[in-house]
Amino acid sequence: MYGYQGKILRVDLSLRKIEEEPVDEAFLKKYVGGVGFGVRWLYDLLQGGEDPFSPKAPLIFASGPLASIRFLGSTGISITGKSPLLGLIGDTDMRGRMGGSLKGCGYDALIIEGKSDSPVYLRITEGSFQILDGRELWGKDTRQTQEIILSDPQNRNGLVTSIGVAGEKLVKYANINCELQFFAGRTGAGAVMGSKNLKAIVLGGKQKTPVSDMEKVKELVKAISTKIQTDGTCDTLSKYGTWNTTGPANLNGILPTKNFQTTTFSEISKIDGDAMLNTIYAMKRTCPGCPIGCRRVVKGETPYSFSSEFGGPQYETVASMGSLLLNGNPYAIAKANELCNLYGIDTISTGVTIAFVMECFDRGVLTEKDLGFKLKWGDPEGIFRMIELISLREGPGDLLAEGVKRASQRIGKGSEQWALHVKGMEVPMHDPRGKKGMGLAYATSFKGADHESSMHDEAYQRENALPELGFTVPMARKQFEGKAALVKSLQEYWGVMSDAAPICKFPMIPPRPLKPGLVVELLNAVTGWNFTLEDFLTTGERIFNLARMFNVREEMNRKDDLLPLRFEETLKEGGSAGESYPRKELEKLLDEYYRLRGWNPEGVPTPETLKRLGLN
Amino acid sequence: MAITVTFLSAFQDLTHGKKLFLVDEDRLSKILDGLEREVPGLKAKLFDKEGKIHPAYNVMLVRGDVLQLCLDLDCNVENGDELVIAPIISGG
Repeated sequence: MYGYQGKILRVDLSLRKIEEEPVDEAFLKKYVGGVGFGVRWLYDLLQGGEDPFSPKAPLIFASGPLASIRFLGSTGISITGKSPLLGLIGDTDMRGRMGGSLKGCGYDALIIEGKSDSPVYLRITEGSFQILDGRELWGKDTRQTQEIILSDPQNRNGLVTSIGVAGEKLVKYANINCELQFFAGRTGAGAVMGSKNLKAIVLGGKQKTPVSDMEKVKELVKAISTKIQTDGTCDTLSKYGTWNTTGPANLNGILPTKNFQTTTFSEISKIDGDAMLNTIYAMKRTCPGCPIGCRRVVKGETPYSFSSEFGGPQYETVASMGSLLLNGNPYAIAKANELCNLYGIDTISTGVTIAFVMECFDRGVLTEKDLGFKLKWGDPEGIFRMIELISLREGPGDLLAEGVKRASQRIGKGSEQWALHVKGMEVPMHDPRGKKGMGLAYATSFKGADHESSMHDEAYQRENALPELGFTVPMARKQFEGKAALVKSLQEYWGVMSDAAPICKFPMIPPRPLKPGLVVELLNAVTGWNFTLEDFLTTGERIFNLARMFNVREEMNRKDDLLPLRFEETLKEGGSAGESYPRKELEKLLDEYYRLRGWNPEGVPTPETLKRLGLN
Repeated sequence: MAITVTFLSAFQDLTHGKKLFLVDEDRLSKILDGLEREVPGLKAKLFDKEGKIHPAYNVMLVRGDVLQLCLDLDCNVENGDELVIAPIISGG
C-alpha cells in the first residue's frame, strides 16, 4: 500500500477510548481520501436526524495520499461533520501541515466521537496517543491556547490545531485553526469540536508514508513547478496573493458591497491589491512545497494594531470585512481578521452576519436599543464590537451566533429578504448575478453557499479553457447556457477531488498548469494505481452523490436548492449592471443539472445512478 | 482620440507603480504597440507564445456603463473609452 499508512485512529471522548483501525485498499480506491473518507464515514456513522452537537455526531479529520509528498498544499486536511449551520453535511478544508503531520504519526485519518465530560486536548505522536486535561485551555483565545500547549516540554515541536472561544460557545460558524496560520473556516466545524469539549489536537510524528514511484513524482513536481514559475499564469497570484482578485471583482461588478445591495465599491482604490501591498503587507508565506506563495502576512500599529501571527486577510476577508460593510480601511480589515482568528470564527459568515445587522439598522428593523449601540456602515469600531459580541454570544451576539438564517427567522419583519445564505450558510464574496455558474454552484453544493465547490465562470470565457473535461467553447460569465454541465463537472473535479487528493485548487484553475491529466499522474505515481481520468472523475461523482444522499436523508431536496431573494434584484450599476438571477432561470438550470446528474426532478439521485457509482 | 489604459493589479513592476496611461490610437494592437514603448517588456508578458492576449490576463473595454472583454487584438476603441488590463479572477 502506497500513499497511505493504512490505518486510522478512532477516539471516543465519552468512553475515553482510543483505537486504531485498519483501512483496506478497496475502500481507499473508492474514496481516495480527505472529503471522500469524511463523507463515507459520516454517512455510515449517522442515521439521519441527529443534532450536530450530539455526542454521536463524529468529527472527521482526513488526509489524502498526496500528503505523502508535500507538494502544492497537499499536506492539508479535510474536516467533515454534521454542520450546525446547515443541519446537513459539513465539510471544510484547511491547507497547511495537519494532514502531513497526521500521516507522520502513522494515521490517514482521525475520527472523534463522543463528548468529554470536561475540557480535554489530544496528543498524538508516533505510537502513542493520549487524552489530556484541557481545563487550563478552556476560555483561552487561539494564541493563548497555542502558547500554553507549546510551553509544555512534551508538546515541543508539536503541531497545534485548536478552536477559539467561539468554538467553546458553539457559535455556529466557529472555525478550526492550525498553527494560527491556516483556517478551516466554513460550516461550523469549530463548534462541533467545541461541543465535544475538545479544545486542541497536538500532532508530533515524522514517520514517512511509502510512495510507489518517487522518481516519477520528482519528475512531475519539477515539471509542474517549472511551469508555474515560468508560464506567467500564476504571476499575479504570487505577487498579490488572492488580493489580485479584489480590483477585478469590483470592475466586473461581482464584488459584494453593502450586503450585496450593489457590487461596486466607491472606495475600492483603498483596498485593492496595490493598496494592500502599500499599507498592511509585511511579507509572503507559502504552504509546504508550493512555488506560488499566495499567502499574505500583514502587520500594523496605527490606527489599529495587528500582528503577523495570523497571516493576513485573504480576498474573501477583504471583501467580507471591507466592501460588504462599506469599510474602506485596510487596517480595520486586518484588525477584524485578527479578531475573528483570535476568537475562532469564520470571516465570511461573520461579515455577512454583520452586514445583515447593518441593513436591519438602515431599515429600522433593529435599533440602538436592540444592540446597545449604534451600528453604522463602515464603522470599524462597530465591526470589532460585533465580532466580540458574536464570538462570546453576549447580548444580541447570542442570536447572531446562530447565523443569518436563524437570526432573520427570529427577527422577522421581512429581514429574511436580506439574509444572504444558501441552506443556512452565508454567501461568500462572489455575486452570482455577474457569474451565473457560481449561482448554480451555490444552490447545489452539498454544503450551501461555498465558493470552493465549483470553479469560477471567469476562467471559461476563452477558447480551450479545459479541453480534457470538454470545455473548449468560450462561455461568457453572465450567460446561463452551458453552465449546468460546467458546474457538474467542476464540482466533481475541482470541488471534490482537489480535497480528496488533496492538492491546492489555485493551480488547477485554467489557464494554470496543473491540468487534470497531471493530477491523475501524480496520484498514480504516489499510490501505484492505474487510475484513468475517467476513474478520477467518477470518484468525484461518487463522493458528491453520497454527500447529496446524506442530505436527502435529512429531508433536503429541490425545495432547498435556492438562492437568496436578493439575487433576483437587478444590479443597477457597474460591470454587471442589468444582471439578475431570476428564479425561473435557476429552475431551468436545475432541470438540466439534475438530468445530467441522473437525479429525479426532486433532486434525488435515482437508484440507477447510485448503482452506477457503486453506492447502491 | 484619448484612450485611458489602466493597469489593475497587474504589471506594476513594469510600469514602476504607474497605473494610468493616456494613448491616442483606435485599435488594441496599436495601443499595445504604443504602450510597449513606455512600458518595455509589457508585450512579452501580456501576450502568449502565439501572440494572443495571455489567458491569465483580461483586457477589458469600459465604455460608459458597458464592460466588454477584448478577446483579440482587433478590438476597436473609441474616443473616451477606457481599457483595463487585469488578471483573470480565479476565486478567493
